Amino acid sequence: MSHTRKSLQIRHVDAGSCNGCEQELTALTSRAYDLQRYGLDLVASPRHADALLVTGPVTDTMAAALSKVWDAVPNPKILIALGDCARGCGVFQAAYASHGGVKGAQLQIPGCPPEPGPILAALKTLLTSEASPRAIRPRGTTTRA
Amino acid sequence: MRSPHPEQWRQRNQQKKAAGRRLLTLTASNRHTLTAHWLDPQDGSVHAESLSHAGTFPSLTPVLPEVAWDEREIHDLFGDVPEDHPDLRPLVRTPRWPQAFHPLARSQTSPPNWHDVEPDNPAKLVAGEGITVMKVGPTHAGVIESGHFVFSLIGENVLHLDLHLFQNHRGIEALLEQRPVAAVAPLVTRICAADTVSHQTNWALAIEAMAGYQSAEELRWRRVILLEAERVLSHLNDLAQIPAGVGFQVAQQRALAMKETWQRGLKALFGHRLLFDTVGPGWAQKPSIDGIFILIDNLRQAFKPWRALVQSHHGFMDRMHAVGVVRQASAERLGAEGVAARAAGTSFDARTTMPLYQGLSIVPVVQRGGDVQARFLVRLDELEASLRIIEESATRLRRSPTADPPWVLPHDLTGHVVTYTESPHGLNVHDVEIQAGRTARYHVRPATYRNWPLLAHAVAGNAVADFPLINKSFELCYSCTDR
Repeated sequence: MSHTRKSLQIRHVDAGSCNGCEQELTALTSRAYDLQRYGLDLVASPRHADALLVTGPVTDTMAAALSKVWDAVPNPKILIALGDCARGCGVFQAAYASHGGVKGAQLQIPGCPPEPGPILAALKTLLTSEASPRAIRPRGTTTRA
Repeated sequence: MRSPHPEQWRQRNQQKKAAGRRLLTLTASNRHTLTAHWLDPQDGSVHAESLSHAGTFPSLTPVLPEVAWDEREIHDLFGDVPEDHPDLRPLVRTPRWPQAFHPLARSQTSPPNWHDVEPDNPAKLVAGEGITVMKVGPTHAGVIESGHFVFSLIGENVLHLDLHLFQNHRGIEALLEQRPVAAVAPLVTRICAADTVSHQTNWALAIEAMAGYQSAEELRWRRVILLEAERVLSHLNDLAQIPAGVGFQVAQQRALAMKETWQRGLKALFGHRLLFDTVGPGWAQKPSIDGIFILIDNLRQAFKPWRALVQSHHGFMDRMHAVGVVRQASAERLGAEGVAARAAGTSFDARTTMPLYQGLSIVPVVQRGGDVQARFLVRLDELEASLRIIEESATRLRRSPTADPPWVLPHDLTGHVVTYTESPHGLNVHDVEIQAGRTARYHVRPATYRNWPLLAHAVAGNAVADFPLINKSFELCYSCTDR
């Protein structure tokens, strides 16, 4: 079933990024890209979010926090992997404290880091996505009470 | 070098500090050795002190508080014990790590069996009537890196800030071990997106020093241009974030627009918006010289009125005044680096001793206030100085003969070199040991490593609501600190 959204609120979590994805994501808030005019926005709380956007290969220390943030995003929700590390194909995948990115992301945005233009174009596809949001758990994390 | 008696270890390193030398690294190895490399800021010479021990060594922290974190990290990653360390809580490891897991004690790249518990380490709190504890992070409300902060507050004021970083610890130093020399650069590039050229240059200089490679004049100017282009990018970012911290949106948006212009220029000139993969052993990206001059002209046209706007805004300038103050004595005692040190009156800029910058006029930008405003002003002047250095280097690059001899990395390289560069965040040091063409040990002492404890020091006594502003005025890296 196809559906169209008027807005998509995104919560970001850094799970071991080099800060490259963060810099390019921040660029979307500048007037050159201005993501808010499309109904997209980065929000401060997972409770306000429709989607969780993850950067980094998911370090062991961040895995539990990431899982808690995911649980705090109301259903239905979308998981986004931004950059090669979160997609499980970055240069630090094999490090001992890396969980190898997130599994099952509905949207994967490739690049090291992806540039702001392609990030924005990819996020916009979620506004008219054919796929319904669903609940997916980031890899390497467990359910906690 | 002959190993000194353990008592002499403290004395000798203390003497180096007293003589005005700056600590580059305190590096441990899995052979129970410690080496402290000291830089003489007058002539650029590097002096080493080494210690062999049997698993425990006398802590330097009681006499050199700047190494408190280095020794805690060594304790976590090697299992070696610094005796008489005043605070030997875990720094990198968490309760999830198995007891015997010391990843650098023996090249460990595979994950251990993590304990199924929360990763929180014990926090240092202030106890007493009326004191509240405020925990922030590791995830944050904005698009920033992850770190956990535990504040002890009395009323609105911060009594103590306990930093719990290393949330982003991946194990990069272990991953770099036993790696063929040719496969190192992609990892080193990505240790930190904000200081990537500095990290790449340290790696290139280390390999070239080991191999006895004499780089051509042209290569030198290309690298200076890249290092300064990175400083401009990073300072533009930080100059945008400081006004954002006090709701000065016009200044933030105009600075972000300048940053975007600069990044698009970098993409056109060097192929990457953040300058990843632009420097390596024996090479550096070759830019269009005309393109450099056009980009600088474009930036200056926007920067000059922007600088006038922010500096003539009394509300903004007052808001930064006397907030998050670092005294020069504290900065030097805690080993402050980069902008934070120069804004507190310390006239040290590693570019003055780097062979790469020889022949260029490098004057450290110094302020005395030690507050948010001083750190803002240092960046303003450093950005303008970097544009002049790029112009001068581009002019010299144009005149240099295009002799760029192709260089093939030797397969069987062996050596041990410490290299450093002045990154946008300060003195960034790599301690690189290669054996038969593979890395035996790779220690990264990033520029912001010593500035984190300094940030905690600067925040104490301030209103907790000023923390975001003070934090942005330091703008420290998590990724290269955590590694």
